[in-house]
Amino acid sequence: MIKSLKIYLPFTTNELKSRLAYKGAFYVFILISLFGSFISYYLWMAVYGSTDRQMLGGLSQKEMVVYVFMAYVSSFIAISISDWVSEDVVKGTVAMNLIKPMDYRLSLIFRAAGVMVYRFLAPSVFIWIGIEIYKVTVLGLAPVTASRVLLYLLSCAMSFLIYVLFDFCFGMIAFFTTYIFGLMMVQEALMKFLTGQLIPISFFPEAAQKVFDFLPFSSMVYTPVMIYMGKYSGEMLVFALLRQAVWVAILYGLGSLIWKKVTKRLVVLGG
Amino acid sequence: MKWKRYLRLYRVMVTQFIKSIMQSKVDFFMGLLGFFFNQILGIAFLYLVFEQIPSLKGWTLDQLIFIYGFAQIPRGIDHLFTDNIWLIAWRQVRNGDFDRYMLRPMNLFFQVVSEKLQPDALGELLVGILLVARSMAKGIVITDVPHGVLFILSVFAGAVIYTSVKLFFAALAFWIKISGPFLQVAYEMADFAKYPTEIYAKGIRFLITWVVPFAFVAYLPASYFLKSTVSPGVIGIEWGIAVVFWGIAYWVFDRGTHVYESAGN
Repeated sequence: MIKSLKIYLPFTTNELKSRLAYKGAFYVFILISLFGSFISYYLWMAVYGSTDRQMLGGLSQKEMVVYVFMAYVSSFIAISISDWVSEDVVKGTVAMNLIKPMDYRLSLIFRAAGVMVYRFLAPSVFIWIGIEIYKVTVLGLAPVTASRVLLYLLSCAMSFLIYVLFDFCFGMIAFFTTYIFGLMMVQEALMKFLTGQLIPISFFPEAAQKVFDFLPFSSMVYTPVMIYMGKYSGEMLVFALLRQAVWVAILYGLGSLIWKKVTKRLVVLGG
Repeated sequence: MKWKRYLRLYRVMVTQFIKSIMQSKVDFFMGLLGFFFNQILGIAFLYLVFEQIPSLKGWTLDQLIFIYGFAQIPRGIDHLFTDNIWLIAWRQVRNGDFDRYMLRPMNLFFQVVSEKLQPDALGELLVGILLVARSMAKGIVITDVPHGVLFILSVFAGAVIYTSVKLFFAALAFWIKISGPFLQVAYEMADFAKYPTEIYAKGIRFLITWVVPFAFVAYLPASYFLKSTVSPGVIGIEWGIAVVFWGIAYWVFDRGTHVYESAGN
């Protein structure tokens, strides 16, 4: 355990270092992704202003403000590793990874963890503090409890694993077609939708929600945010966390299986 | 004479480009699918929201879908024809690739945009046209002759506004080497204009109407086709803005090419 940490931890720290070195492009990314949150914010304000109902999709107007920005904060776990996989496959550098005595997927996960730490520090944690202050002072909602913060972070950690393990499986498509860009766009758009980042899952029709219960996506963003907002308690909370753990296990197994299959048929040209 | 030469050259470039697409049809369809799907999810989002409310600040779901679709057409046209402008912003100035344009006796802007067509844009165009057709079939848009003519004029002006914003921010690269991030921020602001601007705070409304005038590409002209109470003057203002912004953008681009220095050693 300690030994493998020694092998893989440099992937995390290197990624973190290189991110810290090239900050410019990242701030732009932050700004643009915040645009989306502000559009959502204003849109939801108008939506709540257009109806007499207090609750929409189980959320009050004030809770929706918290939801919109906490969904943004929670997206720090959404690190796309399929880019790296497809790049390695297309360039053929994946062969280099195969001859090294280490697990390719694990090295990717540790790299992704470096990006995640960076994105948590900039900007997620600041927006989190901001929305928490706004929530208590302006919206007049109760501040979050320490235990709920811990549960939220635990849930986020599992979300991260679900996300990268799923994305690894997705990246395997690169072994079959070199043009994965279009598919990545589809995946990205679909994920935003199904993870609850764009709209709370509770807004979907009942039937769709039932289907989503059997998919890993809602565990990625919706679950941690709901936990943070205190919407889950007791048995439901345990069930939500357990479901996340089960998805980690399933996607880990699935990834290993696909990896075994595709590396058997891998052909790398040149050297 | 000169125009003929430009036209002929453009035709040659486009033919070459189509040949290259035909070589990789799968890539082409994947890209198309990606953009198409992205747009469809935007509509699905609106559907879910309108499950909860009958109308948004007086706008119905069908009207918002028209605005959404209408906005895609000028965006798609600009995307199809001038996608190469992005390269100036990200790398052509920095690594000195811009040299080769300077060496040829043709208009620089023409050279930049004629080098590439972006087939992914067809996804946006397709969604835009489908949604506008749907709105016409539903009878929620005004379809008399003046509106038809102004529709075409508005789409054209909208595409020019898009191109101008892109060219302006890309041209900044001549001074700061890489202007991609600024261009990206400006370009993404178009997302705000997909919804009626009255939902936003005053500052944002001012920004997307007069500074980065995407409201004049999407929501404002679209409202003219939806409501008989809206004056056709809005298309006039759109044209005014298109002309002014194009003038500024082209002037900055032209200045920029004069201060351009290669990245050689």
